Amino acid sequence: MIYALTVPTGIEDVEDVRVLEWAKQIGDEFGKGDLLVELETHKALVEIRAGRPAVLRKILCGAGSWQAVGKPLAILSDDTTESLPDSAFDLPGLAVDFEVS
Amino acid sequence: MSFETKSKAERIFFREAIARAVSEEMIRDDRLVLIGQDVGAFGGSYKEFVGLFDRFGPSRVRDTPVAEASMVGLGVGLAAAGMRAIVSVTYMDFLMLGLDPLVNYAAKARFKTAGQITAPLVVKTTSGARGQGVAHSQCIEAWLMAVPGLRVVSPSNPADAYGLMKSAIRSDGPVLYIDHKRLFPIAGELSDQSDAVPIGVAKTSRHGQHVTITAHSYMVRVALEAAERLAATGISSEVIDLRSLSPLDIDAIVKSVARTGALVTLEEGQLTCGIGAEIAYQVRERIDGVRIARVGAKAAPVSSNPILESACLPDAVRLLESVKDVLNTR
Repeated sequence: MIYALTVPTGIEDVEDVRVLEWAKQIGDEFGKGDLLVELETHKALVEIRAGRPAVLRKILCGAGSWQAVGKPLAILSDDTTESLPDSAFDLPGLAVDFEVS
Repeated sequence: MSFETKSKAERIFFREAIARAVSEEMIRDDRLVLIGQDVGAFGGSYKEFVGLFDRFGPSRVRDTPVAEASMVGLGVGLAAAGMRAIVSVTYMDFLMLGLDPLVNYAAKARFKTAGQITAPLVVKTTSGARGQGVAHSQCIEAWLMAVPGLRVVSPSNPADAYGLMKSAIRSDGPVLYIDHKRLFPIAGELSDQSDAVPIGVAKTSRHGQHVTITAHSYMVRVALEAAERLAATGISSEVIDLRSLSPLDIDAIVKSVARTGALVTLEEGQLTCGIGAEIAYQVRERIDGVRIARVGAKAAPVSSNPILESACLPDAVRLLESVKDVLNTR
């Protein structure tokens, strides 16, 4: 199955975020609880951790680029052979945990 | 060989525009110091001074106790003695404590001394409501517009925050720079060609034909939202971002109203003796027969209860209803 990693809704008082750093590279498999990406808001850092295992397939927003809340940052899949769609906008979201510091 | 320079735009947070302007000006002029609560290692109450303490050290970026009268007094003294100072007062409500040195000394120094002493001082503060109640929400810009010798600027976006802060710092008299709590979550483009924004020059944020809407700071965003919704009903609104409240760019407003024939002023503060009252009268002095309405807060303290807070404050719906009333299209 193919998923999108989106900027989580529910970070208080935030419209846009900036990608600070990816903790995984394309092709990396990750498990539940692994740090995927760090985001920067106007006043805080947000660590996004995987809510289930998957593979990082495509990064849509590299370090330094911006994305709006609810919009996709990357495409993920259950295994590396699944072919990717052109657009990430209709994909189901991958469950994540996030921590604001 | 080409001499063309291509400008490169970068998206930054509102707070970063302030830090960048202050940092560049501190490099440009080593007499410039920044003082205030939490401006040092903490990086500012809204993180708008992040990086400055590390770069310039405690002699130029200095934390103060919670004592606004002393902070502004210190800033005025520094400025009068040949330094240049930025004094950060987190909430505009507490600028009231610092009004004596700002109004009675800084704004008057040049007049009292026949120009021998100036006070190149920026008081930077944050106005507006965002859930913090009666004494942390007020917009008292209009009070300060009535002080001769004091300039008042108020940006609505990161590029203007950068440009107006630069102009404020370079100004030889005191400048009150006011941003808004609800502007900090936003980001915007800053070009590498960006420079100081002249004080006293308004900007047309949206062009239109049927009505002129004036606003500043966060209310510009409210005005643009209302204009968008009015456009769907066939009403074309011109939105003027005042940027500077003192001096007021009355020529730009009059030019627009002369064309549209209708004016609606929008402010988050009180209407009594407000910015809208001033603009409306000055427009009426220059043009006959203009239809005018003012939109502002209800005459009540701003509650920390979110429902009561939004009941008190102007929003896009109240603005667009007022526009329809003025144009008789409701």
